[in-house]
Amino acid sequence: MLEGIFTGLGTALMPFNILMVVVGCFAGTFIGMLPGLGPISAVALMIPITYGLDPASGIILMAGVYYGAVFGGSTSSILINAPGCASTVVTSFDGYPLAQQGQAGKALALAAYCSFTGGTIGAIILLFAAPALAKVSLSFQSGDYFALMVLGLTAVAAFSGKGQVIKAMIMTVFGLMISTVGIDTMTGAPRFTFGTIDLLDGVSFLLLAMATFALTEVVMSIMKRQHLEEEPEIDMAALGSMKLSKEEVKEVAPTVARSSVFGFIIGVLPGAGATIASFLAYGMERNFASAKEKLKFGKGALRGLAAPETANNAASTGSFVPLLTLGIPGSGTTAIMLGALIAAGVQPGPRLFVDNPDVFWSVIISMYFGNLVLLILNLPLIPYISRLLAIPRPILIPLILFFSVTGVYLVSFNTFDIQMMVFITVIALFLKLLEFPMAPMLLGYILGGIMEQNLSRSLVMSDGSLDFIWERPLTLTIIVIAFILLFMPLISKLFESRSQKGIEASVNKGEGG
Amino acid sequence: MIITKDHIGGLVFLCLSAAYGYYTGDISMLPGDEYEPFNAQTLPNILAYLGGILSIALILTASRDAGDRLSLKGYDFPIVVKLLVLVVLFSVALEWVGFLLSTILFLIGGYWLLGERRVKTLLIASVPFAVFIWFALSQLLDIYLAPGRLFTTLFGG
Repeated sequence: MLEGIFTGLGTALMPFNILMVVVGCFAGTFIGMLPGLGPISAVALMIPITYGLDPASGIILMAGVYYGAVFGGSTSSILINAPGCASTVVTSFDGYPLAQQGQAGKALALAAYCSFTGGTIGAIILLFAAPALAKVSLSFQSGDYFALMVLGLTAVAAFSGKGQVIKAMIMTVFGLMISTVGIDTMTGAPRFTFGTIDLLDGVSFLLLAMATFALTEVVMSIMKRQHLEEEPEIDMAALGSMKLSKEEVKEVAPTVARSSVFGFIIGVLPGAGATIASFLAYGMERNFASAKEKLKFGKGALRGLAAPETANNAASTGSFVPLLTLGIPGSGTTAIMLGALIAAGVQPGPRLFVDNPDVFWSVIISMYFGNLVLLILNLPLIPYISRLLAIPRPILIPLILFFSVTGVYLVSFNTFDIQMMVFITVIALFLKLLEFPMAPMLLGYILGGIMEQNLSRSLVMSDGSLDFIWERPLTLTIIVIAFILLFMPLISKLFESRSQKGIEASVNKGEGG
Repeated sequence: MIITKDHIGGLVFLCLSAAYGYYTGDISMLPGDEYEPFNAQTLPNILAYLGGILSIALILTASRDAGDRLSLKGYDFPIVVKLLVLVVLFSVALEWVGFLLSTILFLIGGYWLLGERRVKTLLIASVPFAVFIWFALSQLLDIYLAPGRLFTTLFGG
């Protein structure tokens, strides 16, 4: 392992890769601060850039953008009560009241320290957990891989929230359907190309990700007339001190420790991700608090801000475990990273640890740097970065549109791709109006090809019989877990509604008091 | 009967799955492939059935709450259509007038559509930006950007 850490350090410490972390964190913070654009859109916008980089630098950049965007989302939650993404919604519960009390600086600093600690503790656990898991998974056969893909796909559907499970499963199947367009890699037969040459290569990952997450999100914000809203005015002079007193540090330290480990574990579960982690950590912290402290939640409690901030960063780190070791993304954002890695010729999964140790270790090592950059560089610069929010929306939106469209064009130099992007955006907008989630579709699309290959291999090896599912205990176990996850929504619905009620009650109490 | 978003979504995907299943039959196979345990049609067939079953499940379990009806109120559709048409026009312009000019036109068009009317702002926010991006791509990164068919036709390639 020590050798691996040194390999990772060697790659991550290369000046260019350090630059990537810094640039990624800045770009991510800025994009994450824009209301409506979250980590998924931020990472999607980076894909075209990573095409020109080597895989290690590419994923380092994306990881930097990921943390940056989560942090940026927290910043806008605290300053203007407009969470950039779902995982920072809880941050605004106590962060915004703090800002209203003239303690925005303290809230931002606390958010940054908690993100740093959560991310770092997460990265340390990852350092030990990932190689151990990767070693175990080296013995996997094609049947196990197929079972893993099924697990990944059902998990994402299972964690998609109330009333959304069937919709998420439909979207997963839709993604799998899209993955079958183009030449079949095993037999060479063209499928669903309708005689068009442009479709022989299938629908490109870049195009699909950019259309559904970058273009659609921007167009959706225009459709909701968000560009007509006044630009938020942030009074930089009223930020207040960024220092925390000793008592305050003592108060939040146990919270941070608990939420880090908790967030990481939630993040590791495929499909759960940072949003669920932040909500659950907030609920958990409220339960741990004394009756007197409970009243403070929702009114600017430091612990109420520390818990979700720590948990969402630890969960972001945790979601790299299934990505790096099993090739299954833990969230929509890591799904995009998986696609980008596959496009760069790197196959994440058990073999990544052996075949591309530089990618594997440098990602883990660069996470420390990413957290460090956020703390040392981003925090003091927040007043300046948030000034970018003052760029009028009518100017900013066409620029983002331009970047997403040319991002696709500059890779293929085929204008058909731009028209295809518009077509996919229209479909995605329609599906969003019907409240279908987009991430499962992308996941189905990314995992579709690998799943088909492994299913084919397993079926051919077992002469067409489905025995391979129960012949090996490992395969059977994974399939059983997948089925349990399918029935999880019933259990999680109960659990969620309870913790949700608890959170709502605390917020109401806070407002009432 | 109240038709909600779930019903519409379910019906759309049911039709999609049916069409997908129908075209699965068109996938050409090598002779004898149909007797293989896995061929080019296997997964599409499974997906078509799975899609159909899930769509029916969605229709059957759909919410019947009036609040879940598809409401298009409050959305600004004309501006979205105009912007998407602008993106398509940008793709056409890229081929005919090249990267630099089409970028300037696209940005000015975008700012204009979103309500910016000051000529000075329109030009300042588009021309320097487009020139910078064009310069960075073609001169610094050495990426070949075709000058556009109009110019090659008029002045020769």
